[in-house]
Amino acid sequence: MADLTLPTTLAVPEWLATLPDSGALPEVLEQALNSPAHRERWKYTKPAPFVAATQHPMIDPQISGETQSGVVLRQSIDAPLAGFDLEQGPEAIARLCYADRVLTLDISASANEPIVINHAGNTRPMVIRVAAGVSLTLIENANAGDNAQQSIWIELAPNAQVQHSRNALDDAPSHWQYLNVRLQAGAHYQLNNHVTGCGSRRQDIHIIMDGQGADATLVSAGKIERGKALDQQVTLEHRQPRGQSKQTVHNIVANGGKCTFNGRIHIHEGAAGTNAQLSNKNLGMGEHATINTKPELEIYTDDVSCSHGATVGTISQDALFYLTSRGIDRTDAEGLLSQGFLRQCIDGPLADQALATLTGKAGEAA
Amino acid sequence: MSLLNVTDLHASVITDDGAQPILKGLTLNVRPGEVHAIMGPNGSGKSTLANVLAGRPGYTVDSGTATLTERGLLELEPFERAQLGLFLAFQYPVEIPGVSNMEFLKASIDSLARARGDEQPNTATYMKQVRELAASLDLDPAFLKRGVNEGFSGGEKKRNEIMQLLLLQPKLALLDETDSGLDIDALKVVAEGVNRYRSANNGVVLITHYQRLLDYIVPDFVHVLSNGKIIESGDKSLALELEAKGYAWLT
Repeated sequence: MADLTLPTTLAVPEWLATLPDSGALPEVLEQALNSPAHRERWKYTKPAPFVAATQHPMIDPQISGETQSGVVLRQSIDAPLAGFDLEQGPEAIARLCYADRVLTLDISASANEPIVINHAGNTRPMVIRVAAGVSLTLIENANAGDNAQQSIWIELAPNAQVQHSRNALDDAPSHWQYLNVRLQAGAHYQLNNHVTGCGSRRQDIHIIMDGQGADATLVSAGKIERGKALDQQVTLEHRQPRGQSKQTVHNIVANGGKCTFNGRIHIHEGAAGTNAQLSNKNLGMGEHATINTKPELEIYTDDVSCSHGATVGTISQDALFYLTSRGIDRTDAEGLLSQGFLRQCIDGPLADQALATLTGKAGEAA
Repeated sequence: MSLLNVTDLHASVITDDGAQPILKGLTLNVRPGEVHAIMGPNGSGKSTLANVLAGRPGYTVDSGTATLTERGLLELEPFERAQLGLFLAFQYPVEIPGVSNMEFLKASIDSLARARGDEQPNTATYMKQVRELAASLDLDPAFLKRGVNEGFSGGEKKRNEIMQLLLLQPKLALLDETDSGLDIDALKVVAEGVNRYRSANNGVVLITHYQRLLDYIVPDFVHVLSNGKIIESGDKSLALELEAKGYAWLT
């Protein structure tokens, strides 16, 4: 495989210059792009087009709810965030350099209304900082064109709470979403992610539990139609004691669709009392559905409770017989079962739209 | 007129070691208004009979016929059998997370109405009916929003089967060990539901291990199934005799 290179020379902004521990940022990024770990993460999706698109022209996302008191847009950044990670997201760091500016959103008081972010194309990187003890409902919608990318960092101060709902249900030729969330002590973060496959859709999610007793929940429902692709890469790091995390990811893959899920839980030395759970279930709806799944655990401390599991299967014949034995024809019964499979992971303020797109009907979510 | 007619039915279950013959020439005739109890030792073919008639995958019919209201059952898909008026109350009802009971029952009612050429019931009427039925079977109406049988106790699952029986009003009900795993109070509730369903126009085939259920649902006929065949038939007194003597004197 040819080495990955950054599309054009990086002009590193001054506030980012201190980011690498050693060497110049462009060289460090190129090393990260070509590391074995990076190759593994991009095993099932060609990285070159995504790396090339990091320097495409960017627009601002449309934001509403930003005029509430306690919400401030476009503050300056004077230093890298603690969550910036060259190894995990070199492309995202490259976008920070290529962008003419980074959009900040600072939340200093609990907002009554949600903050809504709509991405109508390739949008500028965002940094969202939520102050200590503050609650935020964040709603994010991607309706992106070709080569659209989003990179968002969310920083939760101690005891902050963020309910994040995200839909990516468009049919872009290619789309990349990078999300990095860092939680300090006692912070709570929940992501309800609803997604379809598109020409090639990639979601990188990096959650860092960086304070005692932090709590993170990721619930995701995905549907990948014929000829579409979705690649989800989740890294969840427990760096501090007594954190709790739960990930539930259900994907349904039609004949001729391709779905990749890689979920890594990394429990650092000293993160005692961690409770981490990961479940990834995949339903293949035809002989030529492609499903790659890899749940991973790296544990460097004792006294943790961890579970991870992945299943790849087809519709349960017992369940199908039960429904058909009540007079429901096979096609309708299969429809009910596949809807039910996804509905278990559809919730939150964007559930109605997700239900309509992913299951073809409105109704009550999980 | 015959409601259910099974004649010289031979059927096998498909296992890793190939097809194993279970039913070996079973004949049974149920007329409208009748309740038939089928008893027999473990492995005699009781559940296989229920599953073969309902069309569960994993079984093959080797020879013989089965008709419901004089229409052939065995060549039909399971949903077509249900649309013809057959209902199987499962021994082990299946849990289906994500599909609510309400949604499942509505899909079932609508499919059956379509098949009969009837108008689909309006949602308000149907919901009222379902709630009343649930209450009459001591099922918390909140269960309607939960996934099908999800997190139900054994007794709740069986009562849910009976609720479906009363809601769907099939022509013939096959109850596959509906009494298994029930305490005496739940057994009475289930039996009372089956008795409410009984009418001059429908029939019941009750598969059971124990005579106890027949104290509450009085059968017109009792049959003993052994090694895939009915070897003895009689009235309710046969069940009492079996309870006293076991099956050994017949087999």
